[in-house]
Amino acid sequence: MDITLLHRPGNTAARLTLAAGETCTAEAGAMIAMSGNMDIETTTHQKGKGGLLKAMKRMLGGESLFLNHFTPKDGEGDLILGTTLAGDMMTFNLDNESLIVQGGSFLCCEHGIDVDMGWQGFKSIVSGESIFWLNLKGKGQVVLSSFGAIYPVEVDGEYIVDTGHIVAFNETLDFTITKAGSSWLHSFLGGEGLVCKFRGKGTVWCQSHNPVSFGWALSSGLKARKA
Amino acid sequence: MTALFNIRMHHSLDAAQISEAAVHFAKLFKIEPEKAEQLLHKAPVVIRKGASEEMAGKIGTALQKLGITISLEPVADAAATAAAPAPVAAPEATPEAEQSAGHAVNDGGTVVSPPDHPGYPFRIEGRPDFSFLTVMVPGEQMLKVEASAMATMDTNVEMKTKMRGGLSRLLTGESIFINEFHARGGAGEVGVAPGAPGDMGHVYLDGNVIYLQNSAFVACGPKVEIETKWQGLTKGFFSGESLFLIRAVGQGDLWFNTYGAMIEIDVDGEYVVDTGNIVAFTEGLEYKVSKVGGYKSLFFSGEGFVCRFSGKGKVWIQTRGVQALLTWVHPFRPVKKRG
Repeated sequence: MDITLLHRPGNTAARLTLAAGETCTAEAGAMIAMSGNMDIETTTHQKGKGGLLKAMKRMLGGESLFLNHFTPKDGEGDLILGTTLAGDMMTFNLDNESLIVQGGSFLCCEHGIDVDMGWQGFKSIVSGESIFWLNLKGKGQVVLSSFGAIYPVEVDGEYIVDTGHIVAFNETLDFTITKAGSSWLHSFLGGEGLVCKFRGKGTVWCQSHNPVSFGWALSSGLKARKA
Repeated sequence: MTALFNIRMHHSLDAAQISEAAVHFAKLFKIEPEKAEQLLHKAPVVIRKGASEEMAGKIGTALQKLGITISLEPVADAAATAAAPAPVAAPEATPEAEQSAGHAVNDGGTVVSPPDHPGYPFRIEGRPDFSFLTVMVPGEQMLKVEASAMATMDTNVEMKTKMRGGLSRLLTGESIFINEFHARGGAGEVGVAPGAPGDMGHVYLDGNVIYLQNSAFVACGPKVEIETKWQGLTKGFFSGESLFLIRAVGQGDLWFNTYGAMIEIDVDGEYVVDTGNIVAFTEGLEYKVSKVGGYKSLFFSGEGFVCRFSGKGKVWIQTRGVQALLTWVHPFRPVKKRG
């Protein structure tokens, strides 16, 4: 799989060239355009792996259930993927390791990578902010997207990141969900709510903007909906 | 101030040699190989505007290895100098290669119409995220602009509002009015800012036809007709966009905008585009709206219906979709109180 990131950083799109027989797994709804010979299959789990149990696990988590698998029928195929919100993308090479990715930041990966949707490390307390997490395992390339810019933070010791700003982090890091301020009252009045305290050695990739904050910033100017 | 030059490239390569050179050329200028090949076919063509002598020397040496020579043209014209990008150390650092039609091949550069451009002189700044178009309308000439898109203009420019494309334009969700900007008693500048932040494309029409998605129209020359075209019920209904397309035909400049960045695709055979990401396409391409895979994919893939283009031509697509953003925003809408 050959990846080119186009028009970085504001309105990034990923152009993938798939060789014959290669399969790319992408987030539902990410396809912008593709060559005519591309086959698409929609499943609830990584193709040929996992199965019903994993799908059930994700359903209980209240997550989007579907992944699209793109395979060129004959010869090479071209695939262009994009996101809804403006922002950057990054590629990541997994070498038999594990990367925890915020659900909305996952764009696509090579077939050799196992997408585990059932990762419950942050538990339901964070799902309250409608964030879910994926555990990507295996060997191959991954493309992640962000709302705004992406910047890596090398953690050696302790570091605190707002949960809405996390794109991905190495599984080698330990973490706890905690309050941002010294008291619960201050944390919530300050609008920070819950933050993630990382501990250990590894990298956290952060996005410059929090999609949920953006949504609430627009909220008061939008027309009311019925339900 | 140091002297600046426009760099024009020349070569006498045959088709096979061009494809070979294009690969290296693409690497050198960090553009796609197809673009490089198109550019090479267009030679002699200006590939870099407002370059310093030192920079020109570096580009020259690099291109010589590919059998391409360059010539330098001193920059006289003020517009081109103003558009000169900050000097970069080496040619590898993304120079703006331009096609004769006035398209910048890669990101971030200001597009300035070449001196031999047959239409109005123009420049597009702020690409690719926040494009802004400035057109120099020659004296006693006219420019058509999408209603409410004008941002700045000279005082000698007079605006007239015309109804265009008849009532059907109302149905496209666009304004049925197009503003005409007449430059009185000399040339006048008009600045046009499209509604959505994104990239902007330019095509010089010479009797050919371009179809635009209904909100993509920005501006055009006086001899370009903007018509509304009924797509047919099935195509329109399932595309989720609009039952109508804009058909631009005639002779002159045509500018169109995108929401998000723009990708130009040369279709030869078949290409599939999400209906929300189509910006424009050339006439002669067949298209049909169909579901993306099996029925399971139709409902759950998040792609729904797609547009399948076939034949030979060009399609311009945008990397973001307005409809997709609206869907994303929906949960944040306040809930209406009952009663």
